[in-house]
Amino acid sequence: MKNVRLCTVLFAVLVAVLGLALFPAAAQKTPVLKIGINAEITGDIPKVGEATKYAAQMYVEDVNKAGGIEVGGKKYRLELAIEDNEAKAESAAKAATKLITVDEVIAIVGPQASKQAVPAGEVCNNYKTPMVSAWSTNPNTTKDRPYVFRACFLDDFQGPALSIFASQEYRFKKAAVLYDVASDYPKGLAEFFKKDWEKRNGPGSVVAYESFTTKDTDFSSQLTKIINSGAEFLFTPQYYNEVPLIVQQAKQLGWKKPILGSDSWASDELVKLCGKDCFGHFFVSHYASAGAKGATKEFIDRYKAKYGSIPDDVAALTWDAIGLIGAAIRNAGKLTGDVKKDREAVRNALAQTKDYPGITGTISFPPGSGDPIKCANIVKINDKGEFEFYKSVCP
Amino acid sequence: MEPHLHRPSGALGGGRRDRAADFARGVPLLGWLFGALLAVLLESFFGRDLADFLDLPRVPVLFGFEYALNKPRLIPGTLAFLFLVYALPLLLGARLLRGPANRIARLLAARAPGVALLLHLAFLYGILHLWTEVSDYRLIVAKITLIAVMLTLSLNVVNGFMGEFSCSHPGFMALGAYAGSLVTIVGFTNSAMFGAALLPPALGPVFFPLALLLGGAVAAVGALAVAIPSFRTRGDYLAIISLAFTFIVKSLIENLEIVGGPRGLRGQPDWANLPVVFVCTVICVAMINQFVRSIYGLGLNAVRDNEMAAEAMTINTRRTKMVAFLFAAFWAGVAGVLFAHVLRYVNPGTFGLQQLAEVLAMMYFGGLNSVVGSIVGAVSINLLSEMLRPLEIWKWIFIPLLLILVMIFRPTGLIAFREFDPLAWIAPRDGNGSRERRENSGEGK
Repeated sequence: MKNVRLCTVLFAVLVAVLGLALFPAAAQKTPVLKIGINAEITGDIPKVGEATKYAAQMYVEDVNKAGGIEVGGKKYRLELAIEDNEAKAESAAKAATKLITVDEVIAIVGPQASKQAVPAGEVCNNYKTPMVSAWSTNPNTTKDRPYVFRACFLDDFQGPALSIFASQEYRFKKAAVLYDVASDYPKGLAEFFKKDWEKRNGPGSVVAYESFTTKDTDFSSQLTKIINSGAEFLFTPQYYNEVPLIVQQAKQLGWKKPILGSDSWASDELVKLCGKDCFGHFFVSHYASAGAKGATKEFIDRYKAKYGSIPDDVAALTWDAIGLIGAAIRNAGKLTGDVKKDREAVRNALAQTKDYPGITGTISFPPGSGDPIKCANIVKINDKGEFEFYKSVCP
Repeated sequence: MEPHLHRPSGALGGGRRDRAADFARGVPLLGWLFGALLAVLLESFFGRDLADFLDLPRVPVLFGFEYALNKPRLIPGTLAFLFLVYALPLLLGARLLRGPANRIARLLAARAPGVALLLHLAFLYGILHLWTEVSDYRLIVAKITLIAVMLTLSLNVVNGFMGEFSCSHPGFMALGAYAGSLVTIVGFTNSAMFGAALLPPALGPVFFPLALLLGGAVAAVGALAVAIPSFRTRGDYLAIISLAFTFIVKSLIENLEIVGGPRGLRGQPDWANLPVVFVCTVICVAMINQFVRSIYGLGLNAVRDNEMAAEAMTINTRRTKMVAFLFAAFWAGVAGVLFAHVLRYVNPGTFGLQQLAEVLAMMYFGGLNSVVGSIVGAVSINLLSEMLRPLEIWKWIFIPLLLILVMIFRPTGLIAFREFDPLAWIAPRDGNGSRERRENSGEGK
């Protein structure tokens, strides 16, 4: 008897489950295009992931509010598929595979850091899915990969941009460099800078070339050497969490000359951690939040109103990266609904991008390369601790 | 999902639970494999249609976690799918084929236990193959998980069976990854860094086992560098020396421009496919299991419990420790080669403290001194972390919480201090299951 009752109950539960499952879902009239976000939401650099997510969400909301994106006379709604890559290489490859094969996205934004972007780029290229990294500057990310693009300029351009700035603005002749030898971004940048500086000012013009290892916190011995070398300025291409330590320690040791940095300085956190010590120094950036005009200013104001913080360069570059994808979708001609063909079409449109008006500059992709042509902005940290646009340097 | 998970009710509850237990006991491993094969076959043929019918966006790739966490509306459909595709065929297949499965198992166990083991492995591979064929996402998750099994198991040899606390596994893995990658990149690919291929790429897959062996061997040589100075010490000191080793390897590679420095090495050929990774994992599990069950392994346990007493019992403790350490490093190196070839990119930053923490977590979660424990730990942590990916930051609250709970209620891990006897696992289970097993193991010895 009890068995029979149990069977009935089980059967009823099964029927209920099936019934619920078959309950017609809220019908969506407009077809949907999915864009993947592969971002460092947890792990070492969560701020980067957060900015990526926010900027992408804002873009998608904008597009959908306007009724969607129009391709070949048909309107599509955009949808984001957000994956966390935990700031790990293998996780980024897994996330990219998931976005491509499970979520079937048409294109992917990110990963942002090169450690993740290189393996994820491999995956995207293998599956013939367009990927735009907003922030990755390792040449390997896009090299020989027709499906991988980036929205930022490269290290080999940032170095020369700074050396042009330092020699034109101040007529400096002697440079000092302090960099993290264990991290690929600072190391690459230090090398590019040194090469270009010595080309301009002769061999030996980099009078101090000092290094340390990730997570070091005491730089006094390197800084003492730099101060004693008679350098006219210091270039330190470090991340926002290390720069304050370097700048403050240099000041304590009596350094009064300018300190120049790279785009990795550009984070709200820098001024919070560094305070007044960082005022008056310069860095190369993709964009500057203070003194911005036009579309850039509009983006900054809206982002600030929505999320309560000034967008950093990751947010701005992500905005441009997803904007590039959006423009490519628009220019793709006609979408077939077959995601593989559509990805191909979007990739071709992306590769032909010319003079896209991004908020970090006008972006074009030269033929056969995923690295954009654009200008670098030199930014000054002003007396209020804001990042103020100072000068634009074009190669 | 299994029947004995239903809550017993009333007077008959105990009886029902017994019946469920009897049912589970009566099915040999082969029967479960039949059931699982049936399930994955069903999924690969009808999964898509069924998913459409249940109004799911697609076949649930990792048991529906990948979308159900964000879209609760889909949970009933996912449950129905899981029930119809996994639970029902698994149970039905196991039940219906119980008789034949037992007969085959008995026949093989009596005549050729080796063939029986191979048959089970073939079934396991078939299931994995069909399951991963549905989606490439599953494939990469399965590959990384199998590699994690190798890593965890090899770490368990040192930290569990030998009772030392070694932190050099990421270092060994890095050595293996770079050595193996260099062989395959320099030898068989046209790369910008190393020029044209030295050997015809067609020969590559033949040489890949050699690259794996070389990766393992380089890691073992690296292990020698830790072992010689550090085995005069024990406990904390070994932990510190081995941690230093990890950092030394990482810094070494970061400063070696010839292998790409911190930028890493790219362009490994795509040879680490599922069969290769599976076979390597099986060989690794088999060898380590044989090793720890052998006289060496028992010696290892003696060293762990009391080194002086072990020495008095004529165990050459120095040699035993050395052998175990190099052996573990070898497998970590092989896992490193596979890891580099699955991602087709390797950089020194990957082999840092985070990697170490992950392997340690998998090992302690699964259980010390236990081969099954390591497998369970690696698989469960990997799958869990993959399934909970949509939770983003909450995942890193949930998983550590789980680890803490395990440490509170089972301080040595889920399945600790248990011997893994594959022959007992595949034994037939009809009649009174327990007696059968006892007789069987009696015959075995």
